[in-house]
Amino acid sequence: MKIWTSEHVFDHPWETVTTAAMQKYPNPMNPSVIGVDVLDRHIDPSGKLHSHRLLSTEWGMPSIVKSLIGACRTKTYVQEHSVVDPMKKTMELKSSNISFTNLVSVDERLIYKPHPQEPEKTILTQEAIISVKGISVSSYLEGLMENTISSNANKGREALEWVISKLNAEIEEFTASARGSMRTSMAAAAFVEK
Amino acid sequence: MNSVGEACTELKREYDQCFNRWFAEKFLKGENAGDPCVQLFKRYQLCVQKAIKEKDIPIEGLEFMGPSKGKAENSS
Repeated sequence: MKIWTSEHVFDHPWETVTTAAMQKYPNPMNPSVIGVDVLDRHIDPSGKLHSHRLLSTEWGMPSIVKSLIGACRTKTYVQEHSVVDPMKKTMELKSSNISFTNLVSVDERLIYKPHPQEPEKTILTQEAIISVKGISVSSYLEGLMENTISSNANKGREALEWVISKLNAEIEEFTASARGSMRTSMAAAAFVEK
Repeated sequence: MNSVGEACTELKREYDQCFNRWFAEKFLKGENAGDPCVQLFKRYQLCVQKAIKEKDIPIEGLEFMGPSKGKAENSS
């Protein structure tokens, strides 16, 4: 069993990062995530939003393998439970694989909070617990997986930055076109008045 | 982004649009006057549950709570 932890600061406010995290997929850094579904969503009595999601991933197996074992069986699934507390400003996300649980289990936990010293920034702490069933090769395999998880975590952060830029660009575009149509209608109104 | 069930992707997109707007503009700002996306969610859910059964996806221990079950029903 191995535990991997890390901490990262995003140079964006918590609301921005949380909004982006809810819309994380699709993004170019995680091309293997091909489907996201919400299985359940509700607000609990204390006002926190719970979401249960199913992620479908496809690891790009060679087509000959797919044709042998069937395309459906090349997909793997991850379930994710997130809790967003808008009052305390925390978002906690827990995910675990539901495919191949007889071979390996990967549990991840991420917490997004405003940075305690710089409230316009967001701090992410994440940890992963990996265990591989079977004894002799497990620590080697766990070591391999740990590297993958670490590099995936970097991709995950880049992915959020990408989503944040995309959302900001959409807002700018919307504002620019709203300004454009306001000017047009003001000009039309001025013309009519004359 | 697609849904696990190909037929559900359009329903998912409609629901996601509604949810993302409500989440950023209302929920995060502390305005929790209820979920305006309930109907869209119900339709999307029916489709997804069917797809999961058909594809035999091993979802265990996840209760399929419809939007009306076990939720704090604030006035909407």
